[in-house]
Amino acid sequence: MRDPLKPQAGQPPAVPAQRRPPSPLPGPSALPGTAERMAYLESASRRINSSLDLTATLRNLGKVLVPSLADAAVLHLRDPLPGGERDPGQPTALRLHHSHGTRLGRRSGTRTIRPGGPLARVLSQQLPAGPVVLGTPSAARLRPLLEELYGARTLGRLAAGTALLALPLRGRKAVLGLLVLIRRPGKGAGPGVDHATDSPRVHAFTRAGHEHPEPPEPARPTAFDLTSAFDLASAFDATDSATAGHLATQGGLAVDTALRYTREWEIADQLQRSMLPTHLPQRHGVRLAHRYLPSESGAQVGGDWYDSVPLPGNRVALIVGDVMGHSLTSAAIMGQLRTSAQTLAALDLPPHEVLYHLDEQAQRLGREQHLATCVYAVYDPIANRLVIANAGHVPPVLVQPDGRTELLDLPPGAPIGVGGVDFTSVELPAPPGSALLLFTDGLVESRRRSLTTGLEMLRARISTAHRHSPEHLCQEALRILPPGERADDIALLAAAFDGIPAEDVAYWFLQPRHETPGRARRLAGHALRRWGLEQLAENTELMVSELVTNAIQHATRPVTLRLVRTSVLRCEVGDDSPLLPRARRAGPDEERGRGLQIVAKCAERWGATRLGAGKVVWFEQRLP
Amino acid sequence: MTTGQISEPAQGRDPAATAHHACLRRAERALQAVAFDTIGAGYSAAFPGKAGQLACGEWLLSELEPGAPVLDIGCGTGDPTVRQLTAGGLRVTGADLSDGMLTLARRTAPDATYHRIDMYDLATPRAVQAWNVPELGPRAAGTFAAASAFFSLILLPQSEIPVVLGRIRELLRPGGLLALGMVEADLDHTPLPFLGHEIRISGYLREELELTLSRTGFAVEAHSGHPYAPADTTLPPEEQLFLRCRRIG
Repeated sequence: MRDPLKPQAGQPPAVPAQRRPPSPLPGPSALPGTAERMAYLESASRRINSSLDLTATLRNLGKVLVPSLADAAVLHLRDPLPGGERDPGQPTALRLHHSHGTRLGRRSGTRTIRPGGPLARVLSQQLPAGPVVLGTPSAARLRPLLEELYGARTLGRLAAGTALLALPLRGRKAVLGLLVLIRRPGKGAGPGVDHATDSPRVHAFTRAGHEHPEPPEPARPTAFDLTSAFDLASAFDATDSATAGHLATQGGLAVDTALRYTREWEIADQLQRSMLPTHLPQRHGVRLAHRYLPSESGAQVGGDWYDSVPLPGNRVALIVGDVMGHSLTSAAIMGQLRTSAQTLAALDLPPHEVLYHLDEQAQRLGREQHLATCVYAVYDPIANRLVIANAGHVPPVLVQPDGRTELLDLPPGAPIGVGGVDFTSVELPAPPGSALLLFTDGLVESRRRSLTTGLEMLRARISTAHRHSPEHLCQEALRILPPGERADDIALLAAAFDGIPAEDVAYWFLQPRHETPGRARRLAGHALRRWGLEQLAENTELMVSELVTNAIQHATRPVTLRLVRTSVLRCEVGDDSPLLPRARRAGPDEERGRGLQIVAKCAERWGATRLGAGKVVWFEQRLP
Repeated sequence: MTTGQISEPAQGRDPAATAHHACLRRAERALQAVAFDTIGAGYSAAFPGKAGQLACGEWLLSELEPGAPVLDIGCGTGDPTVRQLTAGGLRVTGADLSDGMLTLARRTAPDATYHRIDMYDLATPRAVQAWNVPELGPRAAGTFAAASAFFSLILLPQSEIPVVLGRIRELLRPGGLLALGMVEADLDHTPLPFLGHEIRISGYLREELELTLSRTGFAVEAHSGHPYAPADTTLPPEEQLFLRCRRIG
């Protein structure tokens, strides 16, 4: 940053002249003053740079300036704040971000910068901006700038004798804002006049502990700058201007650093959040809730994730995982593993096989960094069972319908990415009214609390939960967190199991034969009549027979027909051929190829899912 | 455990191929029984709460005199049917090809009589020759007041089911009752995963099943369908069919 006080070619000098007669330099009397200034500058610089947070940085800047150097400070930053772009260019607007000791500019909000106007010129340092004292000839220099910034009316309310100094705040690449320093008249706060009193401003300079050995040189009017008495009282002298200039430089860099840091954190946070599902699809027979809490210390990025994947037969996969480490890399790897887990889950493989393939995948992606723990569970609301496999993760908590809770005793398995270790699936009853809570170790483990203690606290807390809604379970679980800063991120996934009664399900195996579509149609009709859904019979029978017609084209083993009645009627036709059907346009005389078009037209929703062995084509209809 | 009786020299004047096939089938049935040896109690765990089956048992109890002889074909663990019928005062004979299942059944319902026999050999000379069970051989024809077969005929190919139904009919006295439990499906001896094993399963849709029963000399007096979800994620839900039949002629 250039020294704003340095006169530029063709411009009047920023500080007209030293208004104090030059003291005998380097006289011993000047040394204490200089030493104090240096000490002040050092402690001020340190304070300005003490935080990486923008608000705190601006607050600190205000505190070091007021009251030591001015009665008030106003901090304007360019609007919008520069993002990640390489060269943000010249600012187009300024917005008040912080003010200390004044209400000036509070109402003006965001001010557009007139191109080529005084504000633009001051910011680009084509024009010096102070110091001036209102009511004196010097004020004319700054008036256009202040009018542009605060409006003529506001400016008119400032008392004559108010001293003003405006300094651009420069970052590393661009100007970031404007700092305006104000000294009020008549308060006698000017160090040049009020030197004898213990005014806070003077006091700040004597913080080192020693008294002024002698009063500083009183300011005196010079022939060059003929001003009134109150000009003398409040004006920023050359030393003040230089000090302010130095602090503005420090402040500009600190603001730049804070903006960059904020940006970096936002990128990391956005990256992580964009890789987590914002909402989980609510399935029938199970209610889900989730929480993600980033860590509050360090880089604030972690590799925890949660997910749920719908599977055929109204089953649902529940996943919670934790990539080791806390960095942007952990978050990126989490994204990779989550995608892999999604893909593997959709193939409807048993949990231990999903973990096996995930482990293999992680090793291919890079063994050292792709270490993660994970619990993978599949809930079957029709069988009322749960199948779970664990890869080195903290055990989930199962809540029984009567409120009893247990930490599931699963074979622990090795973390994903270690390789060569078998995973085991465990099947458990999960009757309607029970619930499962999956979580990461950040919930139960901290510097002050061991894993065992945390798990027991969680289990006890959950067992006193009077309701088993998944939201409530998440809330209760988070209550065990000790106060204070979280060192680790936390992912939570709660599932309340409602089940789907067998009466609402119909399932048949059908050999792929010429007459199978007709049979499937008849069976679907039976089921719909049993459920009193005759209204849907015609469409459903048509779609079922179309899908079964498609299925028997390639099937070598029996096709399956499943109907499930929940708040919708869902039909699934499964076969062992992995070829996914495509809705192609059938010619007017073609008999085949219309099936999916008919389904697409009649059904509320439909889709086709490739499975580990074969595929399922499904459709849903709203109940009448 | 289940061994032996799975092969014997071809008999009579059957062409060699037919004899070979019969021999092969005996081996397959025996092997399937071996699978049930290991499934054992796991079967009851996967199929709890058999309301439809119990209702059929109630029907037999209400229709029969106390002490009437009843044959339960494929009695399995004896739960719930052998237990229910013996407790209801009937004289129950349980038949199964799996030794493991019979061991469990003897514990479940010790008052019944049990025989290890291939249901394909019921009422045939092989019941005596191969299994040494004259009580279920040709001479036992017409001696049983009722028979029950819950989810046991589904283990046969569709071609063998009418044969076995005919042999059961032979063992029943005229007007004798048959309580039958099947799974509604269009399957013929299709290998499907079943509690850690691969078991070949057959099934009919209900209309075809009724037709098969009437062709083998049974009148279906009532039938009901029960959607059922096994308590095991590897087993899909099923549509269970229960039929109350009477021997005609």
